[in-house]
Amino acid sequence: MYSQQQYGVQPFPHQQAPYFHQQPPYYQQPPPPPPPVAVYQPDPVSFRRDYTNHLAELKVNSRPIIQNLSMIAQEFSRFADIVAQCIESHIRRVPQWMKLPAFYLLDAISKNVYEPYARHFSAFVVPLFLETYGQVDEQTRSKMEEMLLTWRTGSPTSTFLFGPGSQNAIERGVWGDGASASNSNLISTAQVLTELEFTLSQKERAFQTNPYDTTSQNHIIVLHQLRKLVEAGVSQDELQQILTQLRSLARAAATTVVQPPVPVTTPVPATPASWSAPAQPSYPVQPSFPPSASPMYPTYDTVKAEPPTTVLPSVAPSASGSSIDLVGLLSTLKKRGYVPENGTPLGAGTSSLEDVSKPESPPDLERESSRSYRDAILLHDVRLTTMDITRNRPGIVEFLYDRLAAQCKQCGIRFPDTTFGKKHMEGHLDMHFQQNRKANQNVGRGHSRSWFVGLEDWVHDLAVDVKGKGREGARPLNAKAAAAAANAQRDADLRAQYVVVPRGEEAKPVACPICKEPFKSEFLEDDEEWVWRNAVLKDERVYHATCHAEAAQSGLALRLRSDLAASLRSHSSTPEIRPVGSGAVAAPQVLTGLKSSDASLRASLSPSPESKLTGTKRKVEDTDRTVSDEAEGTPRAKKLALAQADQSPQ
Amino acid sequence: MEGESKEWTLDPETEYRFELDPGESLAVKLIHGHAEVFGAELAANHPYLFGQECKAAVFTWRGCTIEMSHPSTEYVSEETPMAAYANLHIAFEQMRVRALRDLRGSPVPEYERDKPTDPPRVLVLGPENSGKTTVCKILINYAVRAGQGWSPLLINADPAEGGWAAPGAISVAPVHSPLATCSPGSPLGTAATSAPTALSSNALLPLAYWYGHSETKRNPLLLERIVRNIGENINDKYQVDLQGRTAGLIVDTPASFASGHRSNDDRQRLIRACVDAFKINTILVVGHEKLNVELNRNYGSHLTVVKIPKSGGVVELDHLYRERVHNYQLHTYFYGQRVPPPAGISSASLGGETLSDIILSPSSTIINFGDLSIFRIGAESMAPSSALPIGAARVVSETQAVPVDPAASGSGLLNAVLAVLAQPANTDEAERYDEEILDLPIMGFIVVTNIDIPLRKMTILAPNQGSFVGRTAVIGSFEWQE
Repeated sequence: MYSQQQYGVQPFPHQQAPYFHQQPPYYQQPPPPPPPVAVYQPDPVSFRRDYTNHLAELKVNSRPIIQNLSMIAQEFSRFADIVAQCIESHIRRVPQWMKLPAFYLLDAISKNVYEPYARHFSAFVVPLFLETYGQVDEQTRSKMEEMLLTWRTGSPTSTFLFGPGSQNAIERGVWGDGASASNSNLISTAQVLTELEFTLSQKERAFQTNPYDTTSQNHIIVLHQLRKLVEAGVSQDELQQILTQLRSLARAAATTVVQPPVPVTTPVPATPASWSAPAQPSYPVQPSFPPSASPMYPTYDTVKAEPPTTVLPSVAPSASGSSIDLVGLLSTLKKRGYVPENGTPLGAGTSSLEDVSKPESPPDLERESSRSYRDAILLHDVRLTTMDITRNRPGIVEFLYDRLAAQCKQCGIRFPDTTFGKKHMEGHLDMHFQQNRKANQNVGRGHSRSWFVGLEDWVHDLAVDVKGKGREGARPLNAKAAAAAANAQRDADLRAQYVVVPRGEEAKPVACPICKEPFKSEFLEDDEEWVWRNAVLKDERVYHATCHAEAAQSGLALRLRSDLAASLRSHSSTPEIRPVGSGAVAAPQVLTGLKSSDASLRASLSPSPESKLTGTKRKVEDTDRTVSDEAEGTPRAKKLALAQADQSPQ
Repeated sequence: MEGESKEWTLDPETEYRFELDPGESLAVKLIHGHAEVFGAELAANHPYLFGQECKAAVFTWRGCTIEMSHPSTEYVSEETPMAAYANLHIAFEQMRVRALRDLRGSPVPEYERDKPTDPPRVLVLGPENSGKTTVCKILINYAVRAGQGWSPLLINADPAEGGWAAPGAISVAPVHSPLATCSPGSPLGTAATSAPTALSSNALLPLAYWYGHSETKRNPLLLERIVRNIGENINDKYQVDLQGRTAGLIVDTPASFASGHRSNDDRQRLIRACVDAFKINTILVVGHEKLNVELNRNYGSHLTVVKIPKSGGVVELDHLYRERVHNYQLHTYFYGQRVPPPAGISSASLGGETLSDIILSPSSTIINFGDLSIFRIGAESMAPSSALPIGAARVVSETQAVPVDPAASGSGLLNAVLAVLAQPANTDEAERYDEEILDLPIMGFIVVTNIDIPLRKMTILAPNQGSFVGRTAVIGSFEWQE
């Protein structure tokens, strides 16, 4: 039997498989699981019969079915002609609402199993596409147009998937004569818009994969502006220019960019790295890096606030070597008065950034699992009445045990025995592992009750997603949560920095000049070196990377450096420094605009090593602070240092 | 385990009930089969510890064998209301999946078209000792066990109960994993600590407000205001988290909502406040015919009122027991949980956590009188409005914040439990208002352990280290001494 799992391990290497990771509409109707397939069909006649039967299952757009069908096609590429015939006749025969999924199959096969299928398909793809295009509704058309655009760079060498001739013919059929770049008389606004949308989505995906990709980010902003322009109406000439630029951009993207966020066969969701849980996953109550504490990085808000008219020219030169002069084009257009200098851009930039801050659509498998659960639970006929609930129907047992066959041996929590469930269970076990490790590190160290979370944090559920609940990124996040996630990512990056401990100084205690916390050295297996984690070397001094990043922003480092001699105090006797769980994720603007009241709040939130309050003592002795503290993350004292610096009269 | 322990084999759908005396502890180990304690499944071959006068039951749907040390009262019951609770769960799951389907815009089959798409928002009412909290816990636990990623909100509107916070608080928390039962000191899981926890239900993030008294009649106006505030906060959360909304919510209420001998109006008003604030669509009445009829009359037209059976296992609890539970809860809040395992048990888990991980170290701090502003809401002892002479108005209204001077003798501060308020989100002075103090959630509790009037200093016990300078705290009527 072919099963999902059997195929699950095979890579689907191609970068352009839009329906797998692009937009939710493709997958709105998760289908029943793929049908079983007989394992061995040597005979062309029976192969044709079976493949036709499987094709008949492809009624809705379903990844498993498409995947299954293209796997079979790959396996039996010696029957490529039969597969091609089956698909062609299938598309011609089925009602128009079933045609698009079949086209996606054709698309998947030709991109993923290029040889020999693209060749076979190119024989009939032009008339088939155009014929279908003529029959389907508006929405399907635009989906087909999107697909068509991916064909331009769909071959393994990023050239035309079905050859330039076919591509040209289809595009001419779809958009009229002006369609092909070589032969331009009339270009419709609609075509440009479609291509624009396509390029935009490509860029946004790239940006999601790599949030530091300022090039993509700028492109996105520019593309949004261009879209407004085109919607407002521009001349043929400019349409042509825009189109040319777009195509070179798309081509550059296809060649240089970008593993899609998730390999196609990965069962669980396209969650770009920046959306995963913050770097220190098992400490839910103390998200150790409040967004407010890193003013060094522009938050989304600050980016938004700057009108792109000022941003773009300065950043454009740094745009990648693909030499795409979109910005120039835009400014030319502006000069001609198509765009008011300070009109649309602000809004355009904003909307683009909000778009990209949305996580990817929830994964198929999750949908499928919840759909099958829904069907099962709705089978039960229970009404909410006093009479009805006391009639004995122990239907619950199925849901408590049978559907959840895998159980965590440590805590008894159960998971479904499916790919989806296993993935979740892995995450769950990982959480236990982390927790146990943390517990071992913390032996002998006091714990304490955290403050409750503040209202804002509670409403936005910021601190939660780290407990192995297995819902990574599946829920809508708002811009603020997105900013927090981005900050956490940056924080993680900072923490990953290290400085190699100089030979012979391994035993010498070295403390960060900003927070005065000693560095903890650890052995880096890969490099076979002792290193200090979360450390940077500046002016022959080692700082915590996180401290330095903050201080560099506030200018504190300068002051501290001069104060250094005076302020070197021993901290060996200070009470343990604990973060305040609740306040830790705060609004991003707090630190930048510290008023004195804020500062005192801060000071009061971060327990003071200088002991602002006399008489603080711990009820239980801390035996081993130095070992475990830095492993926890950011030294807490730095917040205080910042707060005090802000408070103290200069 | 040697000597003392014994094994029980339970038939399907029966439960083993036990009641512990003060200072006694019990370890239960599942040998084989499936077993659960109030909806939280036990893992096999792990001793689970119970203590602090815990009264609980190990239920099995399919039969099991368990092994335990010997508690004082124990018996097996074959009559449980679990089948009814299970049916309730299925009905609520149907509401949840429909809500999720609606949210995702998935296609709806013909026969489902007329079904409501509202997730379950459930108010649980019942008289004293009817097992309301247990019903809430079971329903929540089944929901999080469904494997659907539900994180329903559990609202504790019973000020005597404490929930994750301390008695006197009204709070709400999203629950992601089953709530363990191990001690009445943490009836609904525990709030987050700095310790790593195995279960997220032992690191809950509640949003809590301070009511300050165990009885609802003490200040119904304040209680109503808190309920409405929480309702608004939940609405805000639902705006952000559309999918979270589909898991619904469950509200545990005080017994006084079900039967108040003299404050009938207040009772009705508080039920109404809950129904409005939490947009309740289902009311469960635990084993109380008269209340069921009354609620059906008042609400039956636009929401579902269901009477559900009460478990025969509920224990009549007296006033003294409840006092002791308050102490357990406050102790748990500051010090975590210490339950000495019974003889012969070396390693066991308490509420799913390793023992060493749930011992907490609070911090004792001396502060100046001026560091902390302390208020009391309303007058210290207040007759109900109806008892005042006609035409007379109160000197201090129920919702007025009255400053408390620690230097004054009889301030009532010594050993008092104070709630430290969260800082207002808006520090803009223009946005402040007189009654703001009533609308602020709390960040935690402190206890005044010593007052030095000549030096104008007091010693406070706080859950963790931190300064209280510039903070505001509110006193209630709870006291606690170690």
